[in-house]
Amino acid sequence: MENSIDNNAITHDLLPMRFGRWGKIWTFILLLFCAVGAYAYFLQLKNGLVVTDMGDYVSWGIYISNFVFFVAISLVGSLITAVLRLANVHWSTPLTRIAEIIAVSAIIFASLIIIVDMGRPERFLSLLLHGRLQSPIIWDVIVISTYFVLSLLLLYFPLLPDLKILIRVNANSSSRLNKLYRLLGSFWKGNPEQVRLSEKAINIMCITIIPVAFCIHTVTSWLFATTYRPGWDSTNFGGYFISGAFLVGAGAVVVAMFVFRKAYHLEKYITELHFDKMGKVLVMLALLYLYFNINEYLVPAFKMRKPESAHLLDLFAGEFAPLFWFAILVGMLIPIGILLFKKGRKPLPMFVVGVMVVVGAWFKRYLIVTPTLLHPFLPMQDVPEKYHHYFPSWQEWAITMGSLAGTLLVITFLARIFPIIPIQETITEQHEKAV
Amino acid sequence: MKRLCNFYPLLFSLCLQLPASFSANAQDSARKSLLVDLSYHSLNNAVVYLSVHAKTKEKGKFVPVGGARFHLYLDKDSAACFAGDALTDTKGAAITFLPPSLQHQWNSAATHTFIAVSGDEGAFNPSRTEASVVKAHLEIDTGQGRTIIAKIVELKNGEWVPVKAVEIKVAIRRSGSDLAVSDKDSYTTDSTGTISAEFHRDGIPGDKNGLLTLVAKVEDNDSYGNLRVEKSEPWGAVLKLADTFDKRSLWAARFKTPIWLLFMEYSIFLSVWSVVIYLVFQIIKIIKAGRLA
Repeated sequence: MENSIDNNAITHDLLPMRFGRWGKIWTFILLLFCAVGAYAYFLQLKNGLVVTDMGDYVSWGIYISNFVFFVAISLVGSLITAVLRLANVHWSTPLTRIAEIIAVSAIIFASLIIIVDMGRPERFLSLLLHGRLQSPIIWDVIVISTYFVLSLLLLYFPLLPDLKILIRVNANSSSRLNKLYRLLGSFWKGNPEQVRLSEKAINIMCITIIPVAFCIHTVTSWLFATTYRPGWDSTNFGGYFISGAFLVGAGAVVVAMFVFRKAYHLEKYITELHFDKMGKVLVMLALLYLYFNINEYLVPAFKMRKPESAHLLDLFAGEFAPLFWFAILVGMLIPIGILLFKKGRKPLPMFVVGVMVVVGAWFKRYLIVTPTLLHPFLPMQDVPEKYHHYFPSWQEWAITMGSLAGTLLVITFLARIFPIIPIQETITEQHEKAV
Repeated sequence: MKRLCNFYPLLFSLCLQLPASFSANAQDSARKSLLVDLSYHSLNNAVVYLSVHAKTKEKGKFVPVGGARFHLYLDKDSAACFAGDALTDTKGAAITFLPPSLQHQWNSAATHTFIAVSGDEGAFNPSRTEASVVKAHLEIDTGQGRTIIAKIVELKNGEWVPVKAVEIKVAIRRSGSDLAVSDKDSYTTDSTGTISAEFHRDGIPGDKNGLLTLVAKVEDNDSYGNLRVEKSEPWGAVLKLADTFDKRSLWAARFKTPIWLLFMEYSIFLSVWSVVIYLVFQIIKIIKAGRLA
């Protein structure tokens, strides 16, 4: 009976909640950003890519930076769910659903932003019909689609026991939400055979998604590294991108943890211990990413080959220096400094650090893409002055902000529909702890 | 008083003339001298042409003069002996072929003088340059083994006679320049006007039939000018051009993807997607297990 009461309490605590006042304001703001982004995209469709500031030299601008950022963030699903699950780490249970939701949302918008960057969306079909299998771009299309399907399955399988609870709780309701729950999980009875099949599937998925996740970001890094340009001509790029992706993904989870904990009053389930553990994970990942950054910049800077020097000097002390040092300091060094101390791993400092990591990571992607394109091996001669600089147009900013808002909107809606912390897993763990 | 009045018109006329004379002197001193090199060239004893190189001295250095126009003549600077015009390029060089109209005049004597005249125009003083040549033939042949034999003869009293002590270079024509056939820079003709050079460039690439172009040449000779003869011999390595067009490669069209890449990609794709399909089947099995329950 006591167990039953406990179960009901946990279920009650973790059920998805209707939007409150702040939830509605938050959703409205996101919808507003999305609407402005959609209008800007309409203008881009109508007038062409001429509305952007991209040109002959900077042909990959803020859209591709944003794409790399989304792909990076999406890796968090494999880190928190797959890696920690396979390592038999149990403290991460309340964070798995958050990570999976972030992964699915980010990968959706990674796919969309690529289509935005193409200028003419109907040409995506040409990519599928006439694409060359020798091109890393086609590998990226394949691996992103695969990762999207796997991320959806990784979100869906652990959701099945919770769907049963949601159907039971909403048994008397005929709302559209309940119809959705029934459609997705009415077949789940929780019998031993179903549990066995589900457990087996989740384990297989956890094993499969890790190499796929590595592939997705390695292939994304190869889009750059297979191109012979200053700043991209590196054998370090695969590891450099993956370590950065894990860092920004973990940062995003920390931010989401803090926000959901506050908004849904989940202090009992997402405790300071979780922040402390995530803080340790984050500092390890930040150090790892710093190590790859040192490799990436120090070695070419030591040699200072003529074609590379203009690009490096522009990053270290030129036009891009403020952004570069901002990304290094805010994205890595300051978070490391804060997280090394126990007080720095408390919820509020962790939230601040998480935001710093995510913002720093976004600018880092911008710095990977744009400065290189402004420093080709052949000197830029007899071109208009504007070709020497790139600053995104308002349409580019609006579409980018719209896509970021869209990601947050998908996360918000998924958190409204599904429990943000796995209910059944939490109940099972509580029982195991009690035993 | 009367004498003084007579002096004023004289002084006045002197004052008027002074600026004019200064201007004339300044013009003369501003114009530079052209340094012209006029050379005679014969290619395979058939094609005859003249080259002109114009330069001037500026701040102690020689600089080429582009855009200088020369009128070229054979033997006399008259309209009947006009060989053509030459306009120098940015490197100060120009060439003109001897026109067929001068063939009779060219055949009438063993020694000729070419004349290059530049007019009174531009920033340079007029110039006249002459270059005399004795008509000569250079012949090339191959001997036993890989020996190249060259012989020079000049026209003397209506006969072609061998010339002794002439420097001849023997080379292979490569793209852009000539490559000496051995370590020796040049050879001196003997009393029969002949030189013999050993070919020491084994394995050098020829064309698709292994043909190399052998060259014998006399350069900047005071009497004979520049003579050059060529001959093809199959002494080079046969050039096999690897035709990569339409072959499987990383840069080929989509249906020409390398097999190894296709194998790797399809292996990875099929192995991952077979897992995805397996997982979907697990959902179906879970649905069935639910119905049975």
